[in-house]
Amino acid sequence: MQQGGNVERRTILKAAGASLAVAGLGATATACGGGSGSGDGTVTIRYSWWGADDRAERINKTIALFEKKYPKIKVKTDFQPYLDFWKKFNTQASGGNPPDVFQNAIGFLRKYDAKNVLLDLSEQVKAGNLSMDGFRAGLDKFGEIDGKLLGVPVGSNSMALVIDKPVYTRAGVTAEQGWTWDDFDEAMARIRDRTGRAGDSGMYGVMYLYDLYLRQHGKAFFTEDGLGFTEADLTEWWTKAEKGVKSGVYADPKKVAQIKPKSALSAELAGSEFTWDNFTVRYTSEGKSEYGLAPIPTTDGKKTGQYLGSLMLSASKRTQHPKEVAQFIHFMVHDPEVAKIMGYDRGVPATQAQYDAYQPTDPVNKAIAAYEESLVKAGVLEPITPHPGGADICESAFLRIAEELALGKRSVDEAVKQFFTESKTALAG
Amino acid sequence: MGSAVTHAPAREGLAEDSVPRSGPAHSPRPAASARRGRRENLAGYLFMSPWIAGFLLLTAGPMAASLYFAFTDYNLFDAPRWIGLDNFSEMFADPRWRHSVRITLWYVVIGTPVKLLAALGVALLLAQKRRGQAFYRAAFYAPSLIGASVSVAIVWKAIFSDDAIVDRTQKLFGIDAGGWTGDPDLIIYSLVALTVWQFGAPMVIFLAGLKQVPRELYEAADVDGAGKLRQFWNITLPMISPVLFFNVLLETIHSFQIFSSAYIVGGGAGGNACGPADGTMVYTCYLYVQGFENSRMGLASAMAWMLLVAVALVTAVLFWSQKRWVHYEEGGR
Repeated sequence: MQQGGNVERRTILKAAGASLAVAGLGATATACGGGSGSGDGTVTIRYSWWGADDRAERINKTIALFEKKYPKIKVKTDFQPYLDFWKKFNTQASGGNPPDVFQNAIGFLRKYDAKNVLLDLSEQVKAGNLSMDGFRAGLDKFGEIDGKLLGVPVGSNSMALVIDKPVYTRAGVTAEQGWTWDDFDEAMARIRDRTGRAGDSGMYGVMYLYDLYLRQHGKAFFTEDGLGFTEADLTEWWTKAEKGVKSGVYADPKKVAQIKPKSALSAELAGSEFTWDNFTVRYTSEGKSEYGLAPIPTTDGKKTGQYLGSLMLSASKRTQHPKEVAQFIHFMVHDPEVAKIMGYDRGVPATQAQYDAYQPTDPVNKAIAAYEESLVKAGVLEPITPHPGGADICESAFLRIAEELALGKRSVDEAVKQFFTESKTALAG
Repeated sequence: MGSAVTHAPAREGLAEDSVPRSGPAHSPRPAASARRGRRENLAGYLFMSPWIAGFLLLTAGPMAASLYFAFTDYNLFDAPRWIGLDNFSEMFADPRWRHSVRITLWYVVIGTPVKLLAALGVALLLAQKRRGQAFYRAAFYAPSLIGASVSVAIVWKAIFSDDAIVDRTQKLFGIDAGGWTGDPDLIIYSLVALTVWQFGAPMVIFLAGLKQVPRELYEAADVDGAGKLRQFWNITLPMISPVLFFNVLLETIHSFQIFSSAYIVGGGAGGNACGPADGTMVYTCYLYVQGFENSRMGLASAMAWMLLVAVALVTAVLFWSQKRWVHYEEGGR
């Protein structure tokens, strides 16, 4: 510092340069949030979804196809596992910088609509950039809420009982369409006694299964703005759960907690598990056994309460390229080549054209196709109730509190009270 | 900034300068000196500007914002709505929040002393001259370098799982607990074990402290016939008490902020955020859940400020208590 003016001037310049660089970083960071068009009319849209590496591989292939067909549109992708996806999405969306188009599900439609995040795609349908024709089984209505088209289904799936086939065979249990809960309970005990393995992995925490059970009794988990069942209903469901855990017909919750994120079924802790039918694909790659699909037990031998669930593509209300986003969604749900690449990874393709384009050849995907076919034929499918805002928080509370109950940390009464308290807060918010 | 009339105000920043401070009458060219001083100041501020900008943008700004959010209902999407102290009253009424406070306090009260004991014990062993000393020091220090990483937490989870190495070892002794990470009461012990394993950083500080204890004291004690234990109690401990205080302070604050290990060992991306039946739902974990999973940023901000106040209080108590047990050498204060 004592060496004279020159040095100082240079240091000042350097320091100034450094601070300019910092300011510059700030400026580019802001610029990223803005438009993404460039001089030659090429636009870039951001597409994010949840899933894992194998899905990424398929999706990248479909995007390469899309970019070839629409050379003026570039697609930038981004993916995370399910829970992390929503954390990132929340942060981006609240910062005014959500992806232009993203994977979505029924539980989030109302929530993000209320927060003004979702683009009403019906304008784009009118403009001819996106067609809602050719969807199977009424799926075109799936993403419609209050007359707005908030999501376009890419595939359908339904709740099922995924079973470990050799275990069921060894126990001598056959699950048939129309079997009752009594039959089911008997089967669970039989599997435990004959194979030494718990029959089920912990159905008492699966919100979507409980929803079916309630529907069989003329109720539902959610109404449009709240819960569709009473404390007494849940007390009954969880009392049964407590007994089941103690008697060993449901898997040891301590062990189930430890093998996460692997499923109890593929880790051979249970003989079957209630979940979405397309999960059979995942279990097959995760576990060593052979997995199949069994129907949902019923109360009266007929009504299963089932509906089709679906993954959707939604667009951001803030997107600067609604037309291109609509074209992208159109391509993804209608192009037959896309179906050939994606298979049943996101459920059975939603449009007839894509459904026809992909004929499964492996036993697992064949079983899923047959299962969904059987549901349509049996005529058990009902319309779904769009979930109210806060439903996602209710779902995770349901899962968590059911686990606490199973681990003996709460009594049934405490668990039920806690769930209703937390749900009230979540659904009010 | 001061004017040229007063004595070289710029020197304020150079108080340690070897040039003795001179009054205005003796200053050869006060105006030029002041000009140079101003320039030096300017250079100083310019050099600091990246830091200042960073501090304002990344620390002070967010802190001020979070203080404001603490009194609002803010879900990230709608504009924050002022609700006064409602977040705080909701917090205190929430059994899950109280659970997270209990489990965090438990972790701090058990984990910190055990970790410090381990650090001091090993430091005492390593302070003696022996072969391969450098290797041992490095080996014991290594875990605290990698300790905060996600990969270590994942390995930890694997070690303490059902039918993994810890469970199998236990079974040899006839204890069948079925793995710690699935048990809401046991899983927190695996976190305590993880923090204790990372005793390297306080150990190095203890080592430095032990080096400072004058040899003559031990020699004198030897002459007086004091045993090793007595020497430790009456010489070593009082002499290293400032270092001990420093470690206690640092580790306590550190323990209050436990997050990544609880989040990963407890489950993380696998489903429930923090452990089976909230077994590792420490304070920051619950804060994270409220903020990022439930989108309740106002409540999360309130929780964050609550934690700050709590840590400040604990620190204040520790500082107050040091009068009773920390001995500084003459003039060392």
